[in-house]
Amino acid sequence: MLKIIIPTIMLMPLTWLSKKNMIWINTTTYSLLISLISLSLLNQPSNNSLNFSLMFFSDPLSAPLLVLTTWLLPLMLMASQHHLSKEPLIRKKLYITMLTMLQTFLIMTFTATELISFYILFEATLVPTLIIITRWGNQTERLNAGLYFLFYTLMGSLPLLVALISIQNLTGSLNFLLIQYWNQALPDSWSNIFLWLACMMAFMVKMPLYGLHLWLPKAHVEAPIAGSMVLAAILLKLGGYGMLRITTMLNPQTSFMAYPFLMLSLWGMIMTSSICLRQTDLKSLIAYSSVSHMALVIVAVLIQTPWSYMGATALMIAHGLTSSMLFCLANSNYERTHSRTMILARGLQTLLPLMAAWWLLASLTNLALPPSINLIGELFVVMSSFSWSNITIILMGANITITALYSLYMLITTQRGKYTHHINNIKPSFTRENALMALHMTPLLLLSLNPKIILGFTY
Amino acid sequence: MNPLIFTTILMTVLLGTMIVMMSSHWLMIWIGFEMNLLAIIPILMKKYNPRTMEASTKYFLTQATASMLLMMAIIINLMHSGQWTITKVFNPTASIIMTSALAMKLGLTPFHFWVPEVTQGISLTSGLILLTWQKLAPMSILYQISPSINLNILLTMAVLSILVGGWGGLNQTQLRKIMAYSSIAHMGWMTAVLVYNPTLTMLNMLIYIMMTLTMFMLFIHSSSTTMLSLSHTWNKTPLTTTLILITLLSMGGLPPLSGFMPKWMIIQELTKNSSIILPTLMAIMALLNLYFYMRLTYSTSLTMFPSTNNMKMKWQFETKRITLLPPLIVMSSLLLPLTPMLSILD
Repeated sequence: MLKIIIPTIMLMPLTWLSKKNMIWINTTTYSLLISLISLSLLNQPSNNSLNFSLMFFSDPLSAPLLVLTTWLLPLMLMASQHHLSKEPLIRKKLYITMLTMLQTFLIMTFTATELISFYILFEATLVPTLIIITRWGNQTERLNAGLYFLFYTLMGSLPLLVALISIQNLTGSLNFLLIQYWNQALPDSWSNIFLWLACMMAFMVKMPLYGLHLWLPKAHVEAPIAGSMVLAAILLKLGGYGMLRITTMLNPQTSFMAYPFLMLSLWGMIMTSSICLRQTDLKSLIAYSSVSHMALVIVAVLIQTPWSYMGATALMIAHGLTSSMLFCLANSNYERTHSRTMILARGLQTLLPLMAAWWLLASLTNLALPPSINLIGELFVVMSSFSWSNITIILMGANITITALYSLYMLITTQRGKYTHHINNIKPSFTRENALMALHMTPLLLLSLNPKIILGFTY
Repeated sequence: MNPLIFTTILMTVLLGTMIVMMSSHWLMIWIGFEMNLLAIIPILMKKYNPRTMEASTKYFLTQATASMLLMMAIIINLMHSGQWTITKVFNPTASIIMTSALAMKLGLTPFHFWVPEVTQGISLTSGLILLTWQKLAPMSILYQISPSINLNILLTMAVLSILVGGWGGLNQTQLRKIMAYSSIAHMGWMTAVLVYNPTLTMLNMLIYIMMTLTMFMLFIHSSSTTMLSLSHTWNKTPLTTTLILITLLSMGGLPPLSGFMPKWMIIQELTKNSSIILPTLMAIMALLNLYFYMRLTYSTSLTMFPSTNNMKMKWQFETKRITLLPPLIVMSSLLLPLTPMLSILD
């Protein structure tokens, strides 16, 4: 695993020592190379994990997330070039350093064996993200957004630290590979109920669960484009990944403790999808759509069947790529009109037809059109929740309908119709932007040819 | 002040603390405390104005009271054990009185009221000495009597200190008061684990001293005593703003910085001793501390507040010397990966 971590750390000296006209080229190229290295991890020969050392391992669940993380860094760098073009050189280098630091921590989080190491790196991802949101965001609300983001996550995760340490005292080791085999049922008591809550709340806040999701619209909207991309694509999946790892240790309380969170998720996905229909702010719409998709993942993880785990994993990867692409598209609008209001930039299909093609593809994958992997994820989740309880099909079906409604609403409002008179002098699409969208879309489309690599460890 | 006199007084302060830390006779310890107290008063009053006089008087009164209580506890201990050696205290009354006396010296709740006011009234360098060096002597005594301290009183004082340190700092804009409340909260963390594993108290003290030294050095470098003047450092030395950001986040206890290490170790030790609610509560209350550190970082490094000065170069008068700043900064932010080395303490 060091073959990925050390090159990523070395991206930082690369940034600081590059010449002014070479920083973007150097960092983007080398981060693309690093993502090619991580692709080799997708070859998982058996059901057991690939163990690289005492501290790092890679497993059919973490390998796709790792590939997504390393794939996203060059994309983030490409997306940030425009809004950073006017900043002084040192600030550009600082920004890239923050992104690289975040990337290092994320890679180490996804491959950590020891759960406390996972916790420390999970918390460590907060600091660079906070700095990116607060320092480089654009509106005054970003201060509040940063505080909400930091404190919601910390409040949820401090009990997790205490819970992990007490589990370590009980079982002697928190090495994830050992716990898989060593697992005993948790005895039934009040304190074990609190242990369950302490373990899960951190990830619920991160996912986010419907009642605890207030930080997400703020943080996603106020962050600059790279911040939004990494938040939507990866940081939310940290919550899902953590939940998938830690639920193995938490039986049998999950069978009854999961009910309130299942109810919140099932209701929350309908609520947040409905709110999307009434949003005026484009980034806010995409943010709420993230909450809705993640609620599906929470439902899948809490049901704990093999099919639901497959659906959760596929949905995480698919949503990562789709959501990041939608944020890039919204950002291309923002860079031209400097406003996030959807109706201010209407009818873009007439002016930017190629971008309209990307908008169409992104919206179609967002509403889970077959045969994309979004559909595979959602379908598996819907089927497994139907087998868990027949009534959930009503809510799931309603959610799929409303998702389709708002995705098409977003597409039609921004692309179709007559263009507004004030946007007839916007710059045409840059090659960089088209390349960005293509690099998002190509993995998504190619994965629909071979989805088994993202279906996780229950395939 | 005449440099010779100043050196003598400083050496007396050092000597006082050394006597406290290295004696085995209770009377010598009391003498050490008194020597320390009397010698630090002129240091606190380096600038001669009513504010400093008031602060020094408050400091003197509280510390003298604490020394007297300490003397009383020593005498009661002598009565019950017949000897003057420092071991654990043999009588519960003496133990409680001694704990209260040392809490008064450290600034633990409910004896914390002097810390913000004294720290605010004196200069930055004196405040530095007050909040770091002066904590060493009482902490060493607490370490030595730790087997006999009443757990209930100590834990109550610790938890209340963390609460007061967190809440009290929320409404402050003066940097010295912010550091004072941060000191109260950190003292709370240190005394909470004292009975369980005193080594962790020493670890926390070490890391706290490093972080506080760094913060004060950065404040002295930018000659700022309020949040407003600190927000002008982007103008003088932009690098200082980044350093302030890192050190403040470390003080707040955020991983991956070294300020997380004592909190993690303390939570681990408390959980091993089957107290679960206490460390959770302490950790959540430390978030209050983090809130006002974040506010400080916002105004200093992450945003540019509407300020009186818009020019790139601000007029600088003299460069203050900052001793040992780079090693301090490195140590106060990058020590977390060395945590497995703590196993040598077993």
